[in-house]
Amino acid sequence: MKAPPTTAEAATSAGASTRVYRPEMARGWWLAKRHYFLYIVREFTALPLALWLLWFLVEIQRVSNGPKGYYPHSSPGFVAFSVIVLGFALYHSYTFLSLAGVIIHIKGVPSRLIVLSQFALWLVASVVIAAVLIGFAR
Amino acid sequence: MNHEATRTQKPAFAHLIWWFLFAQGGVIAAILIPVHVLVQGILGPLGIVPVVDRHYDTWLRVLSNPLVKLYLLVLIALPFFHFAHRLRYLLVDFGVPAAKSVPAQVVFYGGAVVVALVTIWVLLTTAPISLG
Repeated sequence: MKAPPTTAEAATSAGASTRVYRPEMARGWWLAKRHYFLYIVREFTALPLALWLLWFLVEIQRVSNGPKGYYPHSSPGFVAFSVIVLGFALYHSYTFLSLAGVIIHIKGVPSRLIVLSQFALWLVASVVIAAVLIGFAR
Repeated sequence: MNHEATRTQKPAFAHLIWWFLFAQGGVIAAILIPVHVLVQGILGPLGIVPVVDRHYDTWLRVLSNPLVKLYLLVLIALPFFHFAHRLRYLLVDFGVPAAKSVPAQVVFYGGAVVVALVTIWVLLTTAPISLG
């Protein structure tokens, strides 16, 4: 039989002077490496996307104002905001769909093909949605 | 023994729900959002292409379709379950351990639920449902 491990760690945790491990990260740690920075950018994409969707919901809500009260977002500020959001949106799409090769495993199918199928799905969905948004405008 | 088993199953089931919403929200955001931002946020306002939401009549007709309402609910509400998780952990990464606490979870995921409810309310009150 194996004896239970008697490491220094186990000894201190059992003793009276228990020390709590507090991980500390320097402020601005995410600027130290390119990889860290891109990770933070990826996580941050959520905020601009959320704001754009809420603003879109406001536009939908304006329909209840009637034909005279309705007006779509048109200001140069909104267009500039959308350009910035599009950048974050594309980065979210790129990073998230690339992950599919890690998440989805199908025997005999190379992960590159799975990722490719996700990007193809994105392209097809985008074309269909654009066609609907433009096609129903008349 | 059985009692133990049911006790451990409960959090696992909750995890399943939240992880499913997180993953699906991410997929929806990745596949659907960019084209909406491009067409409705840039091309439409600049007048490069005609877009359905530019005019009240065309927008109302599309919005009154129940399938469109369902689609917009998925498009707007689901990504927030993804965003909630990401922003909560972004705070943790920036040195705010309180973002891991239960109250923080209630605020973030509760916020996503609120957005879903508001979206349902807006979709049901703006344009009356009609199939025409």
